Amino acid sequence: MSKAARDASVRERIAAQREAQRKQEQRKRLATIITVVVVVLAVIGGGWWYAAQQTKSETVAGGLAPVTVQSDGSVVMAKDGVTAPVLDVYEDPQCPVCKQLEEVSGPTIKNLAAEGKVKVVYHPLTIFSQEPTRSNSLRAASALRCVPDGKQWLAFHDKIFKEQPGETVEGGFKVDELVKWGQDVGVTAPGFESCVKEQKQTAAHEQYSTKTMTDQKLEGTPTLKLNGTQIDINTTFVPSALRKEILDAAGAK
Amino acid sequence: MLTYEKAAPDRSRAEHPALPWVTTAARLVLGAVLIVAGGLKIGAPALSVQAVKAYQLLPDSLATAIGYGLPILEIVIGVLLAVGLLTRVSAVVAGLLMLAFVVGIASAWARGLRIDCGCFGGGGELGAGQDPNYFWEILRDFGLVIVAAWIFIRPPGRLAMDSALGLSGSREPHQPEGDIFQGDEPNA
Repeated sequence: MSKAARDASVRERIAAQREAQRKQEQRKRLATIITVVVVVLAVIGGGWWYAAQQTKSETVAGGLAPVTVQSDGSVVMAKDGVTAPVLDVYEDPQCPVCKQLEEVSGPTIKNLAAEGKVKVVYHPLTIFSQEPTRSNSLRAASALRCVPDGKQWLAFHDKIFKEQPGETVEGGFKVDELVKWGQDVGVTAPGFESCVKEQKQTAAHEQYSTKTMTDQKLEGTPTLKLNGTQIDINTTFVPSALRKEILDAAGAK
Repeated sequence: MLTYEKAAPDRSRAEHPALPWVTTAARLVLGAVLIVAGGLKIGAPALSVQAVKAYQLLPDSLATAIGYGLPILEIVIGVLLAVGLLTRVSAVVAGLLMLAFVVGIASAWARGLRIDCGCFGGGGELGAGQDPNYFWEILRDFGLVIVAAWIFIRPPGRLAMDSALGLSGSREPHQPEGDIFQGDEPNA
């Protein structure tokens, strides 16, 4: 074999070796990338699933605890004799996050009251200073004050949150709608219709709302306070965490 | 990282030696913002869903899916950027996220909605007496789009897992092309 031919074959061999090495490197890189991508997707999927679990609401299976409308317009829901711990619920009928709270954690609050673990006090407020949200909220909240019966009040309260209009809707919560929804959920008070239509309770509500917000130093709605201490929103919106926090307080009383 | 150090001279002939550090800084800034944003939201998925709904842009089911998924996605992308793993892809995802936020906030502004962007937790509601901050939110997110673009153009920067694992294509150590017998020929 000539020197030139020998050189050529060595070159070929080395080139082939290099090619093989390059291919192997490439495969290794691909494997690493695939592994990382799979892990990343698994973490994202797992996180998504966990988030969905966290938000699972309870269902109101049994009955409700007795509900009583108080003279100042706040509403107590508690089994007879249960006076502590106290869960104060501050919410504005027009506030979307309050609607979300009712959807996610509302059943838990009702169940715990029915189980005799907590005394719940609802405080309907109007936090909005801008239109149209302010007027919408005032109409709905003062309509609630037209219902003297506790059970009917709660049903009307739930209906109002369910039917909540968007925040940009002018003239949302029309008085006619409010009257109809009240009747739909079984409000029987004789003066209900005129009370809502003439918005007889608006002044009383505004006064109560302003006073409550000042006294309680509320920064927004919804706010949940357990024995006077504000509950963290990461608890408020996770039904299982909210249940645990209230049960812990009930156990410690 | 060693791999990178060896390979560096390949490119740094053409670029300023500080440039890879700029990319590292960009990665850390963008990564930190994403981790904080995701971390503040992940505790209350229902609020995160509400924040997405507050934009009134997406059907409820999609808003719910995004509300659940966005916080974890932000955290994961943030971590990937911080450690410099899959840097380029992560920069693209982060950039697209920021662009989506810019579009969302701009559209809320244009429609006259009064919401908080919900970027760092909260359900998108404004506190009592608070006004929206659309201009600064858009400016901030647009700035982050530019940061993401920088990372995309000059990945992966110093201290990147991509380099350590040999994943950054251009930084791969490679032999010089050409005749292997350059220089001393055997048996010459």
